[in-house]
Amino acid sequence: MIDATILLDGLAYGMVLFIISVGLTVTMGLMRVVNLAHGAFAMIGGYVAAMLVGAGVSFFAAAGLATLLVGMIGAVAELAVYRPLYRKGELAQALMTFGLTFVVIASLTSGFGTGIKTLPLPAALGGVVDIGFRTYPAYRLFLVAVGLGLALLLWLLIDRSAYGARLRAAVDNPRMARAVGIDVNLLFTVTFAGGCALAAFGGVIGAALLPLEPFYALRYLVLFLVVVGVGGIGNFKGSFLAAILLGVIDTGGKYLMPQAAAYLFYGAVLALLLLRPNGLMPAKSAT
Amino acid sequence: MKQAWAALCAAGLIFGLVGAASAETVKVGVIATFSGPFARWGEQFQQAIKVYQKQHGTTVDGNTIEVIYRDDGGPDPARAKQLAEELILREKVQFLGGFVFTPNALAVADIVTEAKMPTVIFNAATAVVTRKSPYFVRTSQTIPQVTVPIAQWAARNGIKRVVTAVSDYAPGFDAEAYFVKTFQAAGGEVLESIRIPLATTDFSPFYERVLQEKPDALFIFGPGGPPTVGMINTWASRLKPAGIRLLCTAETQEIDLPKIGPAALGVVSSFHYTETVDNPLNKALWADLTAMFGKNTVPDLASAGAYDGMELIYRAVAKFGPRATGDQAIGLWRGMAFDSPRGPIEIDEKTRDIIENVYLRKVEEREGKLVNINFQTIPMVRDPWKDEHPE
Repeated sequence: MIDATILLDGLAYGMVLFIISVGLTVTMGLMRVVNLAHGAFAMIGGYVAAMLVGAGVSFFAAAGLATLLVGMIGAVAELAVYRPLYRKGELAQALMTFGLTFVVIASLTSGFGTGIKTLPLPAALGGVVDIGFRTYPAYRLFLVAVGLGLALLLWLLIDRSAYGARLRAAVDNPRMARAVGIDVNLLFTVTFAGGCALAAFGGVIGAALLPLEPFYALRYLVLFLVVVGVGGIGNFKGSFLAAILLGVIDTGGKYLMPQAAAYLFYGAVLALLLLRPNGLMPAKSAT
Repeated sequence: MKQAWAALCAAGLIFGLVGAASAETVKVGVIATFSGPFARWGEQFQQAIKVYQKQHGTTVDGNTIEVIYRDDGGPDPARAKQLAEELILREKVQFLGGFVFTPNALAVADIVTEAKMPTVIFNAATAVVTRKSPYFVRTSQTIPQVTVPIAQWAARNGIKRVVTAVSDYAPGFDAEAYFVKTFQAAGGEVLESIRIPLATTDFSPFYERVLQEKPDALFIFGPGGPPTVGMINTWASRLKPAGIRLLCTAETQEIDLPKIGPAALGVVSSFHYTETVDNPLNKALWADLTAMFGKNTVPDLASAGAYDGMELIYRAVAKFGPRATGDQAIGLWRGMAFDSPRGPIEIDEKTRDIIENVYLRKVEEREGKLVNINFQTIPMVRDPWKDEHPE
């Protein structure tokens, strides 16, 4: 039954990777902004939720409120910082968003110090559940459920709704989209805010595995980028597949040959990108 | 008349000298990390130094002791070296102190030797550091020094089979080597030694492997911060329910205990500084820290290292005045023994490294707070590495 445990652990870890990077799949993948500040938005969400929980708000309400608040911050950031950057090219975007990350790190450090900010899980998620052949942490099962739910929601929204069709049109050809009456500016603001809200949600939900501290934004940046890159820029289904594949490979590697664990994750990334340079499922316009 | 003149001249000379001496300022340069993810170290050093100066005054026999802080930003040998040059050449400091990270301490060894600059290492805990310059002394600990006691304790207390899991970097290797060697020599069995990459976020697969091996205990060594908290939390959720105990050294520091929660209750560790150690110096340090910097301030190993480093520097100025040479200061410090907030300590006459108590402690709850409580003292432990690697 140990194989099933590894698989379940891998799946749960893959879901965490998906949940924390799905916001980046939206902003960088779909909207094509090099958004290195993704982790900063995730971490603001986590800190807001931690403060709310500290003030007596329940974990789930805090997660919802933090997601909403960061979505609003994201909308403001899109209008003030990101909009002028859309046409400036990738280097300007990378520099600007990286700078934004440092601003957020410094602000959180001066407000809360460099230590870890604890965000305790609710009692319902802190325990273990009997799943037949063994007991398993409830939190990890919750992550799997949330990951699957998010994937389904995004699929409906982006692949199956009129909003999704407009967004894809606006990204691929903004001038034509404007010509057929799509309000591209509004669409981008809303979508970017949604990406930031997803980042915050991931920051809150994943905080038990990726602890919150001011350098969170840089510490896990490579993880976020890897999931989006391996998945294929512009395709959240690719990110989903990549996150689960990498989660299972990483977990299996650590269990079966811990001495090689440091190399296995990045080895897998290297191999996948060599085989499919545009990612597992590149967006059609990118191929 | 002539005699009176001579007396007057002599008096003038003496007063003049005393006057000149009393006006002098002794500069102490502290190189530590004040920004970035490790900024807490510099902050703890600085607060402990301020407490020391509040308790002992900012002057010694009329000479003002001025502390100049420089930020190395983290493990950055080139920057540490440049800062040491600046402090020695431009600021003309009389003493150097600080050094959170071993590479930074090693990087200044040559300059310190060349300038004969008495230098107190407040942390940098790799055993070899004090060998690199005859002007280094250390007021912290070495990793072998604090690791050997927990291995001995485990072997004597019914723990027969252990798995070790250390972070994959040099201090982790030191901890692993000394735990395994000591535990095996005491008749214990080490089933496996796992090295966990520093960038690891999910520790459960490693621990699932440990679970299958069914050891009596798991020994860990983490780098501090998120990975250490992850290591302990994963133990609490996966291994503790199966009855596998946890053994460690610095991982249960008081500052990190709230992040671990009640799962930490009963964890045994060995370390040279315990926040709750019962002596007047420690109580005064804690009281002044909270009075000056807020009620949530907690002293830690960094506070003890900096506090005792200042004690050494003050004693050197008291003995030799404001112009103490490096050889005088080091000569004075060799073999010097005094009371520290952590308990009695001594600077080894030969190695210039610290000899100190190592405490076995257990996490307990006191007044609603999780704290470490000492239950056994191993008096005046030397660094085992130096005894095994004679010069």
